[in-house]
Amino acid sequence: MATERAGTWLPEAGKLELGSCCGPRMLSPERLALTDYEYLAQRHVLTYMEDAVCQLLENKEDISQYGIARFFTEYFNSVCQGTHILFREFSFIQATPHNRASFLRAFWRCFRTVGKNGDLLTMKEYHCLLQLLCPDFPLELTQKAARIVLMDDAMDCLMSFSDFLFAFQIQFYYSEFLESVAAIYQDLLSGKNPNTVIVPTSSSGQHRQRPALGEASMLEGVEASLFYQCLENLCDRHKYSCPPPALVKEVLSNVQRLTFYGFLVALSKHHGINQALGALPDKGDLMHDPAMDEELERLLAQVPGLVNSVTASSEASCLPSRTPPRVGSPWRPLHHARKVDAESDGSTEETDESET
Amino acid sequence: MDWQVNCGLHLVIQTSSLPEKNKVEFKLHKETPSFPGRLLQHDLERNYSSRQGDHINLVSSSMPSFPILQRSSEEKILYSDRLTLERQKLTVCPIIDGEEHLRLLNFQHNFITRIQNISNLQRLIFLDLYDNQIEEISGLSTLRSLRVLLLGKNRIKKISNLENLKSLDVLDLHGNQISKIENVSHLCDLRVLNLARNLLSHVDNLNGLDSLTELNLRHNQITFVRDVDNLPCLQRLFLSFNNISTFESVCCLADSTSLSDITFDGNPIAQESWYKHTILQNMMQLRQLDMKRITEEERRMASVIAKKEEEKKRESQKQSLLKEKKRLTINNVARKWDLQQHRVTSIAANQDRKDSDSPSQDPCQVDGSTISAFPEETGSLDSALSNALQGLSVTDTHLVEVDGDTLSLYGSGALESLDRNWSVQTAGMVTTVSFTFIEFDEIVQVLPKLKIKFPNSLHLKFKETNLVMLQQFNALAQLRRIDQLTIDPQGNPVVSFTLWKYYVLFRLSHFSMQKINGTEVTQNDMIMAERLFGILAHVASSELPQYRLISILGDARKKQFRYLLETKGKKPGVVSEENNDSKRLVGENTNRATLNYTTRDFYNEKLEEIKEKKKFCKMYIEDLVKEATEINMKNEALQKLWPQMFIELVRDAVIEIRNKSSYMKLCLQQITDQK
Repeated sequence: MATERAGTWLPEAGKLELGSCCGPRMLSPERLALTDYEYLAQRHVLTYMEDAVCQLLENKEDISQYGIARFFTEYFNSVCQGTHILFREFSFIQATPHNRASFLRAFWRCFRTVGKNGDLLTMKEYHCLLQLLCPDFPLELTQKAARIVLMDDAMDCLMSFSDFLFAFQIQFYYSEFLESVAAIYQDLLSGKNPNTVIVPTSSSGQHRQRPALGEASMLEGVEASLFYQCLENLCDRHKYSCPPPALVKEVLSNVQRLTFYGFLVALSKHHGINQALGALPDKGDLMHDPAMDEELERLLAQVPGLVNSVTASSEASCLPSRTPPRVGSPWRPLHHARKVDAESDGSTEETDESET
Repeated sequence: MDWQVNCGLHLVIQTSSLPEKNKVEFKLHKETPSFPGRLLQHDLERNYSSRQGDHINLVSSSMPSFPILQRSSEEKILYSDRLTLERQKLTVCPIIDGEEHLRLLNFQHNFITRIQNISNLQRLIFLDLYDNQIEEISGLSTLRSLRVLLLGKNRIKKISNLENLKSLDVLDLHGNQISKIENVSHLCDLRVLNLARNLLSHVDNLNGLDSLTELNLRHNQITFVRDVDNLPCLQRLFLSFNNISTFESVCCLADSTSLSDITFDGNPIAQESWYKHTILQNMMQLRQLDMKRITEEERRMASVIAKKEEEKKRESQKQSLLKEKKRLTINNVARKWDLQQHRVTSIAANQDRKDSDSPSQDPCQVDGSTISAFPEETGSLDSALSNALQGLSVTDTHLVEVDGDTLSLYGSGALESLDRNWSVQTAGMVTTVSFTFIEFDEIVQVLPKLKIKFPNSLHLKFKETNLVMLQQFNALAQLRRIDQLTIDPQGNPVVSFTLWKYYVLFRLSHFSMQKINGTEVTQNDMIMAERLFGILAHVASSELPQYRLISILGDARKKQFRYLLETKGKKPGVVSEENNDSKRLVGENTNRATLNYTTRDFYNEKLEEIKEKKKFCKMYIEDLVKEATEINMKNEALQKLWPQMFIELVRDAVIEIRNKSSYMKLCLQQITDQK
C-alpha cells in the first residue's frame, strides 16, 4: 500500500511545486543526488502524507463510514485545489510554500469583497480577518506586514486592502527569507559584511565603504549593489523559498541605496514577484473574480427578509458608482510607486508573463 | 403700618391713671396676642399722639446743637408722666429738663441719629424711637427701669449696650440691619422680641431668655434655627419668609414643649409635600400652624403619612445601602478584572503589587466602608439592614442581579449562578442578560447552559468581556435566539472595527436580529453584511472537503455537549448523536456553521492533541516511506539484474541443447531413471 501511494502521488508532488519558481523536475540532476526519502521530504510530499494520516486519525469513525480511499482522494484533491488550508492550524498553513500560497489565495478570495467595498481597516482588523480563516494566526506576522505598509510609524493607521494584501504576501510567503535579509541588513548597517565568502574584488569596495558609512547613516539604508550580492548569496544557500534572484536584482538595480523597509515595499509592489509567487492576481485585477461575484449575487438574492430584488439591484448598481472614489484615495500613493516601477519594469514584465 | 402687624404688639397706655408697673404689664399681657383687629387701635393712638405733639414748644437752647424742651405747666400736669415728640423733624434728642418723673417718651418719626440726653429720665418705662436714623444702641445704661424699648425702623447693625436694662419686657428691633442675635442672654424678663426684617442668617444665642413668649423673625434670611428648645416660655415663633428648606435645620423646635403657634409660610420648606405632616408629626404641642388652627383630623392624617414616610425612607435607605453595596462589589470586581487584564501600567506596578498582596483584606475594607458610609442615616435600622444584606446574593468577587427582565452578571464567579435552580417564573421573565467583567471565553462555555436555563433571553449585553476578534461572535450562533446585541466599547476592542457589525449580522443572520448596540438593523445592513462576508461562507461551505466539514461541525457539537458529557460521562452513543446534530446544523445554518469559535483553552488543548497525533503520524509515515523506498531500491536493483540473469539462463539452456543427440539421450536417461 505504501509503495503504491508513494508512486501514485509523486506526480502530484511535482505539480504542487508550481508555487516555488525554481522547481526542478523529477529527474533533474538534483533529484538524483538525493535519496528517495530526502527528495520526498524536500518536496513536502511527506508533509502531506503525514497530514493526511493525521486527519484520518482524527476523524476515523466518520471517515471509515464513507471510505478510506474516498478520503485520500478528497484530501489530495483539496491539496491540489488549495482548499486544504481552510480553518487549519497555523503550523500546518505555514508548513509548505504551497500551503502559504493557498492561504494567500483563500484570504484574497474570501475578503476581496471587503477591499471592493473600499473599507480601510486597521492592522488589528486585518488580523481578525486572517483569524477567521486560521484561528491561531500569530499577530506578529500581521504586525510585520502592516509595518511594510505603514513604514513603522503609527501602527493604528488604516490601510487599503490591496496595500495590506501585497505586503502580507511578501511577509508571509517569504518570512524566513526576510528574517535572514533583516539580519544581513543589520550587519551591513553596522558596517560588517555578513558574506564571509564574498569575492576578493569587493573587499576593496568594502574598505572604501566603511568611511562612507558616516554619510550612509545620514543617507539612510545600505548600498543596493552590495546588498544584492549578499542576497544573491543568501538565495543560493537558503533552504526556504526566496524570491527569484533575477527579480531581486531588478528591484535593487533601480536605486543606489535603500532601507530594509524600502526593500520590502519594493518587493511587495513588484508584479513580477507577485506573478512568480502565483497566489494572487495582478494588482489591477485584484478586485476581479467574476465567478465569485456571480456566486455573491446569488447569495444576495437569498438574504432573508429581502422583499423585492429591486432594492438588491439598486444597491448593487449604486455600489460601483460609490466605490471608485473611495478606493481611489488609498490607491493614489500606489500610482506614484507604480510609475517608479514602470520605468524599470518594462521588458522584464513581458518575460515574466512568458514564463508563467 | 407693616411693622405693627409684624410685631403684633400694641401698647395702649392710659393717660388718665398713673402708669404703675402692674398696669403696664397687664396691658401688655392682654394685648400681645393681638392681630389685624388691633390695627385700628394703633392708628387711633398715633393720631392721638400726634395731636398731643402740637402743644409742645421746642426752644433752642443756649448750646447750639441741642434744643431744650420745655412744656407749659398745664401740660405738665395734664401729661405728667408722658412726653410725645412725634414728627418733630428732630435730628438730635433734645435736652429734657425738669421732667425726671417721665415714664413714657415717644420720639417716633424723627431723624435722630443718636440716643442722647435722656440719661436723667431714670424712671422711664417706655421709650419709642421708631422710625429714626439711629445707628447704634447707646445712652440707655442709666434707664434701669425701662421695660419697653422700641427701636424699629432704624439703622442698627448690632445688638449692644443693653446690659443694664435688666427689666426689659419688650424689645422691638424690627427693620434694622442686624445680622446676628447677641448680647441678649441677660434679658431674663424679656417676653417679646421682634427681629423681623433684619439680616439674620440663622437663629442661635437664645440662652437665658427665660421669659420670652413671642419671637418674631419674619423676613430674614434664616436657614437654620437653634437654641429654641432652651426658651421655656416661648409660645409664638414667627419664621415666615425666610430661607428654611429642611426640617432638619429647625429640628430643635420639636424639642420645645411650650411652643404652640408657629409660622413657616414663605419658606421653601412650606412648598414641600411633606411639610405639613412632618411639622405636625414632630411638634405635637402645636396648636396653630401658619395662623391656622390644627384639627385633630389633621394631626391623625399627619401621623399616618409620617408613618408611611418613615417606612418609605427605611426602604429607600435599604435600597441605597444595597445599591452602595452593589457599587462597591462592582468596583471590586472591576479592580480584579483590571489586574487580570494587566491593564496596570508599569509605573504603577509596585502599587498594584501591594494591592494584590492583600486581596483578602480588600473585601473587608470594602465592607467596612459600606457601613460607615451611612452612619447617621442608617442609625437604628442597622441591624435590620445587615439582615437584608445577607439575603442578597452579593459576594466580593462577583455579583448576580435580577432586575425585572434583566439578569446582570458581574465577574466570572457570577457565571456559576447559571447552575442554580432558577424558578421557572424568574427564568421565563429574563429576556436580557448582561455580562460585565467576564472573559468572553468563559461566557462561551456557559452559553449552552444559558440556552437551557433562560430560554427567553433575547438581548445580550457585553461590557468588559474582552471581545477582541470577529470570530468570537461565531460562538453566539449556537444560542436559540437573539433579537438584540449590545457590545459596550469598554473592554471590547472588537467594537472599534468597522466590520464588526456586519460580521455579526452575517454570522448571526439566522436570528434576524433587530438591533445591534441600540441601532435598528436595516435591510441595507443585511445586504452589506452578505456582500462583505457571503463569499467567505460560500468558500467555507462549498470548498471545504467533506472530511473537514464533518470534523469542524463535529467539533462545534462536541463543544456544545461538552458540559453535558462532563456530567454524564462519555457514552458511545453520543458520537452518532452528534453526527446527526451536525448534519441537521448544516441544513439549519446553510453555509455558516463552519464558521465557529473555539475558546483559547480548548483550541490549545486541541493543538496539543494534534501535535501528539502528528508525532505519531510522522513516525509512521517515516517508517512506511523508508520501507517503500527500500523496496523500490531492491526492485530497481532487480530490474537492473534481471536482463542479465535471463540471458545467462538462456545461454545455459542453449548450451545444454546444442548437441541434440546427446541431449536426447540425457533426457531419455532421466525418464527411465524416474521409473
